[in-house]
Amino acid sequence: MALDKIKRRDFLKIMGWGGAGATLAGCDMPTTVTLEEGKEEVVSYLVPEEYVIPGIGVWYASTCQQCAAGCGVHGRVREGRVLKLEGNPESAVNSGALCQMGQSALQTHYNPDRIQQPLLRSGGALKKVSWDEALAQLQQKAGGRSAWVTGTISGHQAVLLDAYVKATQARHYPVEVVGSPVWNRVCQDMLGDANPRLRIDEADLIVSFGADFLGTWNSPVHFSRQYARFRQGPKRGMLIQIEPAMTLTGANADLWLAIRPGTEGVFALGVANVLVDRYQTSIAGLPADAQKAIRLYTPDHVKDITGVSVDQLMKVAELLKKRGNSLVLAGSTAEGHSYGYQSVASIMLLNILLGNVGKTLQANVHAPAQLAPRVGNTANLVAFAEAAAAGNIDVAFFYGSNPLYLAPQSLGLKGKLDKVGFKVALSSFMDETTAQADLVLPLASALEDWGSHVGAYQNGELQVSIQQPLMEKLYPETRGFGDVMLGLLKQRQVREFALYEDYYAYLRNAVAAMPAALNKAGGNAWNNALQHGVVALNAGSGALRPRAVSLPQPEMAAGDDGYPYHLVPSARLGLWDGRHANIPWLQEAPDQITKVVWDSWVELHPTTAAKLGVARGDTVKIASKAGAIEAKVYVYKGIHPDAIGVPLGQGHDEYGRYAKGRGVNPLSILNDTKDQTTGELALHATRVQLSRTAGKPGDKLVLMGGSESQLGRKMVATVKAEVFARSEGDA
Amino acid sequence: MSLQNILQDWSKYRKGNEEGGFHDYEHLWGLAIDLNKCIGCNACSVACYAENNLAVVGKDKFAKHQEMHWLRVERYWDEPDLGEQAVSDYQSHGASFLPMMCQQCMAATCEPVCPVAATYHTPDGLNAQVYNRCIGSRYCSNNCPYRLRYFNFYSYYEDSWPAPLNMQLNPDLTVRDKGVMEKCTFCVQRIRAAKDVAKHEHRELQDGEFTTACAQTCPTQAIVFGDLLSLHTAGKAESTLSTLWRDQQVELGRTEQHKQNPDKRGYRVLEGLNTDPKVMYLERVREV
Repeated sequence: MALDKIKRRDFLKIMGWGGAGATLAGCDMPTTVTLEEGKEEVVSYLVPEEYVIPGIGVWYASTCQQCAAGCGVHGRVREGRVLKLEGNPESAVNSGALCQMGQSALQTHYNPDRIQQPLLRSGGALKKVSWDEALAQLQQKAGGRSAWVTGTISGHQAVLLDAYVKATQARHYPVEVVGSPVWNRVCQDMLGDANPRLRIDEADLIVSFGADFLGTWNSPVHFSRQYARFRQGPKRGMLIQIEPAMTLTGANADLWLAIRPGTEGVFALGVANVLVDRYQTSIAGLPADAQKAIRLYTPDHVKDITGVSVDQLMKVAELLKKRGNSLVLAGSTAEGHSYGYQSVASIMLLNILLGNVGKTLQANVHAPAQLAPRVGNTANLVAFAEAAAAGNIDVAFFYGSNPLYLAPQSLGLKGKLDKVGFKVALSSFMDETTAQADLVLPLASALEDWGSHVGAYQNGELQVSIQQPLMEKLYPETRGFGDVMLGLLKQRQVREFALYEDYYAYLRNAVAAMPAALNKAGGNAWNNALQHGVVALNAGSGALRPRAVSLPQPEMAAGDDGYPYHLVPSARLGLWDGRHANIPWLQEAPDQITKVVWDSWVELHPTTAAKLGVARGDTVKIASKAGAIEAKVYVYKGIHPDAIGVPLGQGHDEYGRYAKGRGVNPLSILNDTKDQTTGELALHATRVQLSRTAGKPGDKLVLMGGSESQLGRKMVATVKAEVFARSEGDA
Repeated sequence: MSLQNILQDWSKYRKGNEEGGFHDYEHLWGLAIDLNKCIGCNACSVACYAENNLAVVGKDKFAKHQEMHWLRVERYWDEPDLGEQAVSDYQSHGASFLPMMCQQCMAATCEPVCPVAATYHTPDGLNAQVYNRCIGSRYCSNNCPYRLRYFNFYSYYEDSWPAPLNMQLNPDLTVRDKGVMEKCTFCVQRIRAAKDVAKHEHRELQDGEFTTACAQTCPTQAIVFGDLLSLHTAGKAESTLSTLWRDQQVELGRTEQHKQNPDKRGYRVLEGLNTDPKVMYLERVREV
């Protein structure tokens, strides 16, 4: 190399070494310190990577792990620290946007309560051990029958987990409480696709029975993006939300209808009745009992059951018939009953009757089976509890799920876990489940780890989203999930994986080895994947095949005088199922609906509150047959008088300084009713009684300040849709 | 700043505003927020916490209204324009959400009351807050009709960012200490960075080459950030934001808009107070 070819940077490197040497010589460092040993002390980034410029942030693509939607993110890295996350515009899931949970992934990563070392229970307490000791323990214990409890897991982590589960003849129980398992089953049965593509953007009218698609349903950021298009001119879509307690989606509805909990399916059949009766919709092709059910639910009958007026029912039916493309959705409030499947099927029937299949409900693309998400649900939680109780589990592994917090007390999971010989938690935090573990393997945070993910909901474009570390590990004794799995696989001498030194090597190889027919981008697959954060895959989609299912008459539980109210445990875009309760930003972020911070609350309708003689801030006790909780009251008209809403997320006994001992967990007092068809826990089927109590002295309900009323001023001005149609529409 | 100066400047400044006078501005950063699209999800607010080193104060201080959210999402239950909530049993049109951040008023009521000129109007049309000049009189906060100024009653450094949370702090701006007023800056550090890049590349700032943290993250793209100066400067390429304002027939320098088309949804919150805010909202829409 000729002298004139020496690059400027190379020159500076050489000079830098010399300069550092001079610095060392100049101070009183022991002479035994070599330059190599001492360089960190001298100047960090003495020889930075080519692209590292002090003071300038560099953005890297990765994948958000705050929920299972799988949004792509860009992380801003400066001087080796990740400082800010933004949505990845190339991700088909979120197209550059991010919700507040995604923004807060930073505080999961930098959380002061992370576990930093492997812990082993000895003499009743968890004590620090080395990884070698931990893995040796595991090898010793892991011979028996084992079970894995995880959250929703996909991509190459799922491949490794499957391999291990197969090698150990274990069972895998993916568990999630926030999800749409019944909806997915109904879609599978009635449309032939468990996750049809929803064209919210193409709809002129959406009727949603409690599907909180802007907040907690499947892929909220993606649906929010679609919603923006749905709402814009020239033809602004109309949203009708029918639910017992207001969700974020309900708060954005043109028409919000409070319905008696558990009667959503009846309302849908009532709509079908009107469609048949008044608008000559044919139901000749439906199974006989479905036809019978539709005929049975006349508007007056429906009014008596649901509490929604005949006028409103007529209006919904008329709009569905006359307002162009419609889309009817069902969410957790419709699912969460012993007859949840029938309710959701009745609601789905409207999509078939209205001809929405193929228009606003389309066939979706699906990931190859190895990479496809193993979507969590509560039936698996029940199954795991039963297996544990039967003494069928010697070793239980927990990863990405906190079943001891999620499981209602009525499942008795805590006692049943005692029968599990050895419990291993792969976790970053000391949550309720981890605290009961015998062995704790500390995981690197999502922003320190490698991975690949496929969102549970795809939108017609199939992408595998790549997760790459955005910084060095904060704690050297933590390991990535993939690395731990590879280590375990090597313990079992599974040959396919013996080659790979670490998960990075495996993932890189796996992405690079994707067949060209699958990987759309081609070229240098790995570099493309890292650069873009997503690997677009070729995937075909078939067509939906609508098929009505039989609708036997649901047996609704008779009212119970002792327990007059329905408990609505509502998930929130924020603390989610409780996994984000340790994030200070999200604790301090006011709830979207009530604006309460740092606490739980009980939503009551003004008439219910008047009956009890309570006002905002008073404490009430909510008792079910399974247990009781106490929280402070928030009174508003966004809830049915027969329902009382308590948000999920708080009430942790463990989980660090921000979460522990704050508020209550409504899941804990649910009874163990299950949906009869799918076996899912009926999360909305618990009846409760209410009584006023004194509450803890000095404990206040804290809300974001300001007035709930505009006091006649033009703060949020509202115009009627006809005005919008004149100025921005086609009217 | 002598009293005479203040009075003199004050009348000049007030008058200049009424005459629609825009003097020597380099930019006029502004926003448009479409309440037809805003879903009240709060992503903007948390993005602001991440970008701007906002302190988490905890429940007790929050109860005393000492929270530091530069961008908050207000939620109202009544709908005075629809006028029927009073008789309804239910919240039948949902909620009314309003993201509120500093409105960067052109006739800001916070500015003239500052005894030390810690808050002043920049050539970018922003209400700047000079932290190291602020003495904590809180006059500005008293005078803000939008309640968008936040005072550091305490030093939050240790409580709000116990290690290693402090590693997330954005080094492009400070962590404010006890006794200092702070508020939304329209992500002035992003403005500064973009200007520097443009200067290095010997070119003008381009519309859309950067945006604020709130606008960037918004899942419904309800927030649009940009420069309003092109509305008032002949021959300057019009920004997306200016187009929006012009299309909505909302003008700076007015206490009341005189729209040719009254159906246009643009309005400014409390503009009758003659604060001349640079945030335009587009009215919420409901089928009734």
